[in-house]
Amino acid sequence: MSLDITIPGDGSRLQITGLELQPGKTTVVFGPNGAGKTTLLRYLVRELGSSGTVAYIQQRPHMFRGSAGFNLGLGLDSEPAARARQLADRLGVGELLESPAPSLSGGEKHRLVLARTLARPADWYLLDEPMAPIDFAERREVLSLLTFELEGRSAVVVSHDINVVAGLADHVVIVDKGKIVEQGNVSAVIGSPSFVRSAEILGKANLIDGHARPSDGLCVLKSGDVTITGMGNADGPARALFGAEAVTLRLARARHDISSRNTWIGRVESISHRAQLVEVIVDIGVKVVAAVTPGALEDLAIDVGADIGVAVKASAVTIVMT
Amino acid sequence: MEFLGEVIGDALSAFSDFGPELLEVIALTLAVSGISTVLGVLVGIPLGTILALERFPGSALLRTLVNVGMGIPPVLVGLFVLLLFWNAGPFGSLGLVFTPAAMVIAQVALAVPVAAGVTKGAVGGLPAEVIEEIDTLSLPASMRYRLAIGEARSGVGAAVVAAFGRVISEVGAVLIVGGNILGETRVLTTLIVQESRQARFGIAIAAGVVLLTISLAVNLSLGRLHRPMGVGM
Repeated sequence: MSLDITIPGDGSRLQITGLELQPGKTTVVFGPNGAGKTTLLRYLVRELGSSGTVAYIQQRPHMFRGSAGFNLGLGLDSEPAARARQLADRLGVGELLESPAPSLSGGEKHRLVLARTLARPADWYLLDEPMAPIDFAERREVLSLLTFELEGRSAVVVSHDINVVAGLADHVVIVDKGKIVEQGNVSAVIGSPSFVRSAEILGKANLIDGHARPSDGLCVLKSGDVTITGMGNADGPARALFGAEAVTLRLARARHDISSRNTWIGRVESISHRAQLVEVIVDIGVKVVAAVTPGALEDLAIDVGADIGVAVKASAVTIVMT
Repeated sequence: MEFLGEVIGDALSAFSDFGPELLEVIALTLAVSGISTVLGVLVGIPLGTILALERFPGSALLRTLVNVGMGIPPVLVGLFVLLLFWNAGPFGSLGLVFTPAAMVIAQVALAVPVAAGVTKGAVGGLPAEVIEEIDTLSLPASMRYRLAIGEARSGVGAAVVAAFGRVISEVGAVLIVGGNILGETRVLTTLIVQESRQARFGIAIAAGVVLLTISLAVNLSLGRLHRPMGVGM
């Protein structure tokens, strides 16, 4: 379906024309903070909710008075409620159900509401920054759970996180200043200059250009001496995309012990401390950005100039034609 | 000053001289206003919640009626109830005129709009995210209202206090439909009117002190509901 949306207002002005939403697919609305993503999603909650059912998770979900378990089961019949408890277990909040909801941390509340939202049978799933309140160390796991759960469902996910685009999106809509900059199939959009520009503004993304060919149901991209295996069926000039958080660092000698399809040895080029994590740039022939926890970095005891093992799961890499 | 001193002296002695009589009036006041408040909030709180959350044909009119009702003079309500229950009126056969039952009916009519109006303000004033969360949970209506009232509980507590304050302090309606009959329908406010008219200020002041004390006690006990979220759970 295609929607035209105009919402006048100071901070939240929207001028959206021809927004494409595909049933059965996940659309990720991507853009910087203040682009109008949340305003757009809240509009969709009302619009899609008027003709069908929506399961909606807000950026800061509200807990009602009562136990966490009461909040988890709100509006769910017995079967979805059981499913919600399973999901709560998998999200690590299953043992908190007896606790009063106000005593939970922001991240715990969010995971509880995530479990409830995914368990709810609905025509549309509308998620506002579903990864933002998740602790850094758990993001990869939660993202793969989300990818699995949203498969085949109609979903709109708002995010400024490149990992969410790479991991979840079938269809990508880039918005900025209340307008659509670009939209289309994920492989079409992430090959575009506007996506690269957005990704660069938001940082923490690895975009590696090279030459790709299909192989065993996966896709292998060569860029100089570096080989990257990922998802896709590109054949020819292509680009590989993966988030900095998808990259793990290991001691150089441990590289054969890990299960990831992509393992390289590189030299640490820079280490910069950000709010919750550390960004490490490693030269493996091309430059790769890895976002790791300060604790992980401490365990590795590395410094600029040291050799280090770099790994990325093939499932976290999207390869598209350019 | 001498006059005021005398009045205060009279008021003090009124507690001992008219103790049993005063107690009877206090008991009736508490019964009539207490029952009216309970019935009034039982109707007013759900009504206010529905008016805050729902749009339906006639809801705008109902909202206007509630707003008008919050400020309507009690004597008018008293007059209207009196006409309804007057011997020749539509409900005259019930014989309720000049009984505590008629006073309760009149006070419920005063309490409902106040309880509804304050609740409507409290629920309608919940953050948009909370309302959105309630609306997107596909809940049955009764559950939506329960959640909304729970979230707006401090405002809903204020609705109870306001409804009680409206009925315990009013004199016009109970005077008209109750008739201020000693031992039957005389309450603290009508006692004050009666005694001041006869320049017996001591008893009037004593009744006033009791009225103030009751209001204060109710406010203090219901004021516990005004605590911020998460405290005392």
